[in-house]
Amino acid sequence: MSVAERYEPTVDADAEEARQLRETWKSRSGLIGWLGETNHKKIASRYIVAAFVFFILGGLEAALLRFQLARPENGLMGPDLYNQVFTMHGSTMMFLFAVPIMEAVAMYMVPLMIGARAMAFPRLNAYSWYVYVIGGGLLYGAFFLNVGPDTGWFSYVPLSGPEFAPGKRVDIWAQMITFTELAALAAAVNQIATIFKYRAPGMSLSRMPLFVWSILITAFMIIFAMPAVMAASSLLALDRLVATHFFNPAEGGDALLWQHLFWFFGHPEVYIIFIPALGMVSTIVAAFTRRKVFGYTALVLSLVSTGFIGFGLWVHHMFATGLPQLGQSFFTAASMMIAIPSGVQIFCWIATLWSGRPRLAPPLLFVLGFVFIFVMGGLTGVMLASVPLDIQVHDTFFVVAHFHYVLIGGAVFPLLGAIFYWFPKMTGRLMSQRLGKWSFWITFVGFNLTFFPMHILGLNGMPRRIYTYRAETGWGDLNLLATAGALVMAFGLLLYLINALSSWRHGAWAGDDPWGGEGLEWSVSSPPPDYNFQHLPTVSSRAPMWEQGPDQPVVVGLRSDRREVLVTQLIDAEPDHRETLPDHAIAPLAVAIATGVTFVGVIFSPWAFPIGLLVTGIALVGWFWPRDESRELLEEQP
Amino acid sequence: MRDLHSALDAAGPQAGRIEDLWWIFFWICTTVFALVLIALLAAVLHRRREELRRVDGGERSLTRAVGGATAVSAVILIGLLIASVSTGRAVLSLPPSDALTIEVVGHQWWWEINYEDPVTSHRFSTANEIHIPVGRPIRVKTRSADVIHSFWVPNLHGKRDLIPGHPSETWLQADRAGVFRGPCAEFCGAQHANMHLLVVAEPPAAFEAWRQAQLQTAPPPATPLQQRGHAVFLSLPCPTCHTIAGTPAGGRVGPDLTHLASRRTLAAGALPNTKGYLGGWILDPQTQKPGTKMPPVAMQSDDLEALLSYLESLR
Amino acid sequence: MRPRPRIDVASLPTLAFGPRAPLWWGVASMLAIETTVFALLFATYFYLRGNESLWPPAGDPPVGPATAGLFLMLLSVPPMVMTHRESGRGRRLKVMRFWLIVSMAIGLLALGFRIAEFGELPFRWDHHAYGSIVWAILGMHGIHLLVSGGENLLFMALLFKGPVEEKHLLDLRLNALYWYFVVAWGIVTYALIYLDPGVLRS
Repeated sequence: MSVAERYEPTVDADAEEARQLRETWKSRSGLIGWLGETNHKKIASRYIVAAFVFFILGGLEAALLRFQLARPENGLMGPDLYNQVFTMHGSTMMFLFAVPIMEAVAMYMVPLMIGARAMAFPRLNAYSWYVYVIGGGLLYGAFFLNVGPDTGWFSYVPLSGPEFAPGKRVDIWAQMITFTELAALAAAVNQIATIFKYRAPGMSLSRMPLFVWSILITAFMIIFAMPAVMAASSLLALDRLVATHFFNPAEGGDALLWQHLFWFFGHPEVYIIFIPALGMVSTIVAAFTRRKVFGYTALVLSLVSTGFIGFGLWVHHMFATGLPQLGQSFFTAASMMIAIPSGVQIFCWIATLWSGRPRLAPPLLFVLGFVFIFVMGGLTGVMLASVPLDIQVHDTFFVVAHFHYVLIGGAVFPLLGAIFYWFPKMTGRLMSQRLGKWSFWITFVGFNLTFFPMHILGLNGMPRRIYTYRAETGWGDLNLLATAGALVMAFGLLLYLINALSSWRHGAWAGDDPWGGEGLEWSVSSPPPDYNFQHLPTVSSRAPMWEQGPDQPVVVGLRSDRREVLVTQLIDAEPDHRETLPDHAIAPLAVAIATGVTFVGVIFSPWAFPIGLLVTGIALVGWFWPRDESRELLEEQP
Repeated sequence: MRDLHSALDAAGPQAGRIEDLWWIFFWICTTVFALVLIALLAAVLHRRREELRRVDGGERSLTRAVGGATAVSAVILIGLLIASVSTGRAVLSLPPSDALTIEVVGHQWWWEINYEDPVTSHRFSTANEIHIPVGRPIRVKTRSADVIHSFWVPNLHGKRDLIPGHPSETWLQADRAGVFRGPCAEFCGAQHANMHLLVVAEPPAAFEAWRQAQLQTAPPPATPLQQRGHAVFLSLPCPTCHTIAGTPAGGRVGPDLTHLASRRTLAAGALPNTKGYLGGWILDPQTQKPGTKMPPVAMQSDDLEALLSYLESLR
Repeated sequence: MRPRPRIDVASLPTLAFGPRAPLWWGVASMLAIETTVFALLFATYFYLRGNESLWPPAGDPPVGPATAGLFLMLLSVPPMVMTHRESGRGRRLKVMRFWLIVSMAIGLLALGFRIAEFGELPFRWDHHAYGSIVWAILGMHGIHLLVSGGENLLFMALLFKGPVEEKHLLDLRLNALYWYFVVAWGIVTYALIYLDPGVLRS
């Protein structure tokens, strides 16, 4: 039963309606049109491209690090440059790639998966992207001017404080944090409102796709975690700029306060990156085993509990600081227990594979690679949760191995699979299966060659963040192997990139539903029209494309002369009311620039803050002040 | 040199307990990993029946399998938790009060070591190299003079961060003689990579001999060349930062040099302690350890000869 | 093929209040974010206090302007509630404007006292960690007072100038919600900073 049939225009009114919708929802042309874009798919596409640019930059930084460490006492980089490069690598990957790419894919796909025409706050998406780009530009501008931050992606005080890190490097890092976290918060707020209120009629919470669940949970985590790093970086900026003493032990401040604040954010941060990937895995497993994922309820509860427990782990980053044993044991227990919901998910996916009919297409290969790599990383995580083990391997290459296993295995592999899966929907073309399989295997092998030896190096005493080491340490051979592995992995990723770029131009046409997927996104064209759905679908199943019949109703009656959307009720998605969304708007760019001026100015003078706040306020008035296209006026007017 | 800094080559009780725990975790985690992989491969590759109609029985047995695997995982984790907490309690408890007490102070990028004693005249300071008697517990008090560093001797124990404002204590014990290396294990700036200390564990008699030698002030310069070197030392900026006990040099910014020649390395493990390296280090520290706080000192080559001769006499 | 059954939503209303409205969720999320920031600053306050035996280290913050400000903030709530209510019932512009002006005027006075409060503090932000965290908490709350007060001002302008759309009633209600939030955190902030040293002493 093809659901695509239902959108055949059978009556003239439908064809006329489609034409009107195209007209109403289309983007304005030219530069102003581009700058004032509010379509979630177009902004998401920009976000995805920008995030992958940062991924490549972060990868080049990693290559530099690996080249330097390949031989003992190598002279490729001195300590100053090396310290900048590893700081840039970590900051780029964590702040400019990992979270933004997940938010970007969600920004594109979530409205399609829930049967909505748009997201709740279209201009907020644009603002988010602009602020993100400003943050990334600030960081890289500084780096290329040789004033990049050099105190590590988690920038511990007092090393990053006013006494030991003179100049503006750390201030630039602190404000980059502000921008990227603002961008993530904006995207998260948008997801919550959209997922709660824009779902198609009948898509109760218990019928929501698992990817949408993962994004909802991630959005809540962002709301409660990101403020911690913004607070921490702001307090650091204040210490550096106006001589407050939050982190200065000489005047009642505390260097450990930084670690608590940072890791209160830092631990949930990795789950913010990881949980959307879990949603991607569920999506891919279902599609490529041709059955609904086993254990929907267990999977949802696992995602929720991972989100919650993730907030209770942060002290495991601080086991070497000499905190009281009883407290540490609590965090050991929590850090081990979080493996249980992750385990439940793995078991559910294996059960799905067992009872389904797997097709070993590249998305599923990437998922299989994910299981291998992530489970290994999760098990080294259980080791790190143990205080005695951790105090040996903390701050060594063992940890570097662990987090690359869980982040690359747990997030990047599912992401590569998901991009392969949704690429046809976004571009209308299929990526090459053959190149996809090659890129998977080469990346998989290269990854393990690069990072597995690091476990051994850590146990052999190699600390993190050292720009060189002596030959007598005996670390040379494994480091050389790791560098060779990195080249292999880079090649595999390059193949993937080539696949994506060339398929974009020359790939086979995909049609609406090349994979036979279960979700609503496969019921519209590839790429979707600007308005996503001519008639919003209704839902009576978790797998609408597989289980709904020809009598499944569609929604009519939304206006096509305005960007009108349907708002539904929170739990059961009953139709509730209608809203009109803004179309083109240049205000998000203006407010982003004002925000940029404020926070970049603050690097140089505290006065930038009140002045910037005022300018931003004025720009915000421009955003919210009603325009002349007044609608539904109050009867009484002034 | 692998054995000089390996967590899997325990030379003391704490590192020993941790290593035991490591192997417990390692074998259990490896087994779990293997089982998961086998299940995964079986799930993908096993032959399926022609009809794939999902009968209730099928879903139920899957539910049982998932539930069972989850329960087993939980039990394993609880077991690992118990093993971990019990090991932690053993290795983190503080020693009996007859321990030898050493204070380790982290600086950018060297280690200040102060041997404590109730009797003032039995105290002494050194830098970058710790000697301990085999078989005796050592109480290590830690603090930092500037940024966060981390004291870590993998063969003996896990690490403890040196955090300004948070002095702490840990303890060590070596059960066999040997030389063990301890890299700084918390990023502390430009020369974090070159901030190592050595722990020399020796039989009690040898340790006592070393300790007695360290308690002495510096031997007065014997030969004319050494006397000239001594004069050169005092005339240069060196005493601003360095102490040589028994001379007017009393600076405390840099390492104590009283028994410099007794140490195996220079510049916190960055260089071997030989005349050539010492000369190079004094003339231009920035080439050896870029970013170090020691300024280059220019001097005539015969002054340098004399100075080196004097410094080499500081056993 | 026959067309699918249709659900016609054309007659659904175009305005809804409270959690029915997506904007409510947007504002609630923003308030959750700000709550988290306040909570973290308070946690920082307690964390730093735990390190010290003498807290405040040198001189208590004076209670006068803060108490006046608190009193005014509380006083500003009932008129705001009146505006809030009117937006849901009669929707009379005159009534909404009147109560909004009253609330806003009182709120601006409260803001004035907050500014005076800074002047009265016997310590600066760069004297010691206590000074830093107190200035940070008061500053954070002061910024919210300013922003919310500014938003009230804008609504004033809108209600006088127009055109006033239906959806502005929702905006007005959410603006009130934000003001309640600011007052609530004002109460907690006051308790933390001005009652705490007293509690410690007794």
